[in-house]
Amino acid sequence: MRHLFWMAVFAGLTAVVFGVVAKGSDRQRLFYGLKVFGEFIFIALILGWILYFLPLG
Amino acid sequence: MKEKTISNDWTGPDKARAWLVGLAALGVPGLGHLVQKKWARALLLGGAVWGMFFTGLWLGGHLFRLTPNDQGLAALLQLLPMIANAGAGILYIFCWITNTGFADHAQMVTYEYGNTFLLVAGLLNYLAMLDAFDIAAGRKK
Repeated sequence: MRHLFWMAVFAGLTAVVFGVVAKGSDRQRLFYGLKVFGEFIFIALILGWILYFLPLG
Repeated sequence: MKEKTISNDWTGPDKARAWLVGLAALGVPGLGHLVQKKWARALLLGGAVWGMFFTGLWLGGHLFRLTPNDQGLAALLQLLPMIANAGAGILYIFCWITNTGFADHAQMVTYEYGNTFLLVAGLLNYLAMLDAFDIAAGRKK
């Protein structure tokens, strides 16, 4: 859970910056930030599961 | 469809102001927007970069710098992350002067997270700097 927590913190802070520097109305930028945050989490979880099944050890 | 145009007809003082704002934004995260009275953006950008930098240090990450021992490829491997770290401006300079944050804490579980936070804090501040510059240059509201 520690890894997931710090990954979410990272995604959140990065999404804030991406949302603020994006173009468009406040509402559009808010949704863009939320979308970036969701994409970070979603892709990280997908990659995590892919790596889980790969025989890397 | 509405065409986007970028104004290039700014005068000398405007240009100088835009560069100064960019420099301020690079030097102190959030300051570029603060001096332009973009309070909310300054708070969000500054808070994110400062927060990410200090979280990175707290998680055991380390900053990069060039030392006389680094030659050839080793120097390049230090230089690129150093450029990313240096984007944090005054935070990086303060750490350099006080020799804080350059030691490895590889025994910590969150060490790699810390490194990533520190690198990305600097990179995000480069983005914030460009945004502040664009606002000062009239390319963005």
